[in-house]
Amino acid sequence: MASTALALASLLALSQSPEAPLDAPLRQEPVPEPAPAEEAPPPRSLRPRLEPLADPLPVMRWDAPVMCGYLEPTRAVPSGHFRVQCDERTKLCLAAPTNVLGPDGVETPVPLSRARECTQLYREAWAAELRAGYRFVPAIADSPPGWVRDERGRVMQVNFDLNRRIYLGGAYAPSLSRQETTDRVRADFGIEVEFPSSTEPSVGRLHMLEAELLLGANSAIEGTLARYDWSVAREVPLLWITTFVGKPTRHDLTLDIAGWFEALRLESINRGGLRWQSFLTLGAANLTVDLWHSKDLVSYVRLRGGPALELDTRAGITAIKPVAAVEGDLTLDRDGFHHLRFSALGEKLLFEPEVAGRVRNPQRLKLRAGYELILLAINDYPLTLVADARGAWRDDLPGVLPGWELGAEAGLRFSFWAPARRSAPLQAAP
Amino acid sequence: MLGGTLALLATLTAGQLGDCVEEDEQGRQFLVCFDPGNGIELGLSAAERGGLTPALDAGLLLRTERESVSKEGTLWFNEHRILSARAEPSEDRPLLEATLYQGVFRRHIAEGFILVPTPRPIRLPFPFDIAIAVTAGRYERRPFEGAGFTLETARAALLLDPVRSPTRRVHLSFGPAISHAVRYDGQEAAHELSPLTSGMVDLGLETEDGWWTLRLTGLAGWVFAPGAEGFFRARADAKVERLVLAVNDHPVSATARVSAALADAGVGRNTEWAASLGLTLRLFGR
Repeated sequence: MASTALALASLLALSQSPEAPLDAPLRQEPVPEPAPAEEAPPPRSLRPRLEPLADPLPVMRWDAPVMCGYLEPTRAVPSGHFRVQCDERTKLCLAAPTNVLGPDGVETPVPLSRARECTQLYREAWAAELRAGYRFVPAIADSPPGWVRDERGRVMQVNFDLNRRIYLGGAYAPSLSRQETTDRVRADFGIEVEFPSSTEPSVGRLHMLEAELLLGANSAIEGTLARYDWSVAREVPLLWITTFVGKPTRHDLTLDIAGWFEALRLESINRGGLRWQSFLTLGAANLTVDLWHSKDLVSYVRLRGGPALELDTRAGITAIKPVAAVEGDLTLDRDGFHHLRFSALGEKLLFEPEVAGRVRNPQRLKLRAGYELILLAINDYPLTLVADARGAWRDDLPGVLPGWELGAEAGLRFSFWAPARRSAPLQAAP
Repeated sequence: MLGGTLALLATLTAGQLGDCVEEDEQGRQFLVCFDPGNGIELGLSAAERGGLTPALDAGLLLRTERESVSKEGTLWFNEHRILSARAEPSEDRPLLEATLYQGVFRRHIAEGFILVPTPRPIRLPFPFDIAIAVTAGRYERRPFEGAGFTLETARAALLLDPVRSPTRRVHLSFGPAISHAVRYDGQEAAHELSPLTSGMVDLGLETEDGWWTLRLTGLAGWVFAPGAEGFFRARADAKVERLVLAVNDHPVSATARVSAALADAGVGRNTEWAASLGLTLRLFGR
């Protein structure tokens, strides 16, 4: 399209109207978006005519040059000021109003938002367009990747990156333990940031101030100050094996090892009407091995393991906590509407002094699987349905018999920020 | 940090004063309009809280306006209140309140909408701006109650604003809030959680010249304390300011303030009201 625009500009320069001197420069001046009508509109005789509306309307491309200029006024666009994108091969120009249309279908003073800068074309250029035999058809103006524009020119986000957001949510979260069901509600909050490396195929993830409050008979509070991990796609295999049976063949073994770190994670739980028991993970440093990751490294299934240091705030003792986990975070669709997350996590406390009422070296096993779906977006912020199921077995609570506790949750989450995904596509014609 | 913030304040206020400068017959220039959302606030007032007492207020205010990065073409109106404090050095009922940070972030959009993600997206009208209000580290100490204190560690509220003002001078927001607080009575700490079971309202009105200011905030809802029954608590605060003079172009306003708490004041979760009348100096409040 860029070459098309250059060719078009050359064509325009070579075919000036008889009224204009041949040596008159082609007036193309970049103007900031939205392009204002800085000069008096050219006379109608020099303005191309817009063809009737098609259904569906074609869509202008975000990744091709756009010009602004005057066509013949229409009922919807009395000013006649349009954004125009031309294709030299088909001699077809897509034209969209430079301003948003009102509910009555007539242009308003509000300029299009999130549209590319356009190059202003003045009267000489339009005259040339006419003689060159271009057709001008109504279209929907360009919008950036992950956004779409409707027939009135209003833009809206349809692709969301839920790995970059600030969220706030609530859910109904009943639990089941020892044949007894209890009602609970959950509230959660968190900040998630994801950023690719500029130097290597790697994606870092930072989670801050994540908190989850489960209130009811089996209350619990979980909060993490900060967690950082990354995924990497190694370009050089860890080892390769060449087989010499038949034709020599090389087999690469790539091991995508990365890291996972956590600082200050608090887990407070209340079971059996006893006093609250709090475990504060002072720090954790784990290695991760990706079993699978998507090409953009956003989705993964991996193994994780490593040590952590945990403080039992009630007993006032510190223990080493080896951790092993299998976990996954999958974005299931192109537009980021469907997310599947799961984990199976085992923990064991070692080197801790004896605590009355519980076994030595207690253990925890935590299973979790959840699904998050974008239901709708409010002012371009997604509202998601969150559903997950959990199971936990632990024998680290003094005076509480070890056993399984199961839980299920269903609720809503509202996310701020949530920009379009880096892989977001351009708007296609409806 | 304070120096950097002051420099930022000076930078923000410089060069925006063109229409706010008047000149007298002798050619001397002076400011006639101010921004109540910016500056270092110092207040002195007489307060009634079960007895007349002097009250001192201080805080750093910062108000910014910027275009959204992720949603280009829309504006964020941000208000920050940093290290704000109020002291009432009464002989029999002394009080200290301090808040590390309070912020209100409102994104204004020309035409609010709900997007229903059908194959051909449907756009439904949604006549609200969306805002988020956060508070971190609100500390309350009443020595006459004993050795205890109250600490609201964090609060976040998701707010809707039907006024949708395109300026930072007006807002009316309301919505659910989530919070955690600790009341420590000197021996034991009681945790209180409000998991979106509270509602918050925040109203701000200012005249364009900043001479008049009204601010009303309220929080009400159910709080749950582990091991105890949930309870209802409410808190409201209203403040009216009228510019009366300026010293070296730093505005001084007469301030009237009324606050009330229902089962939310002090460690003992008392119900009380208070009122005060005084003057507020806002350094760099331009």
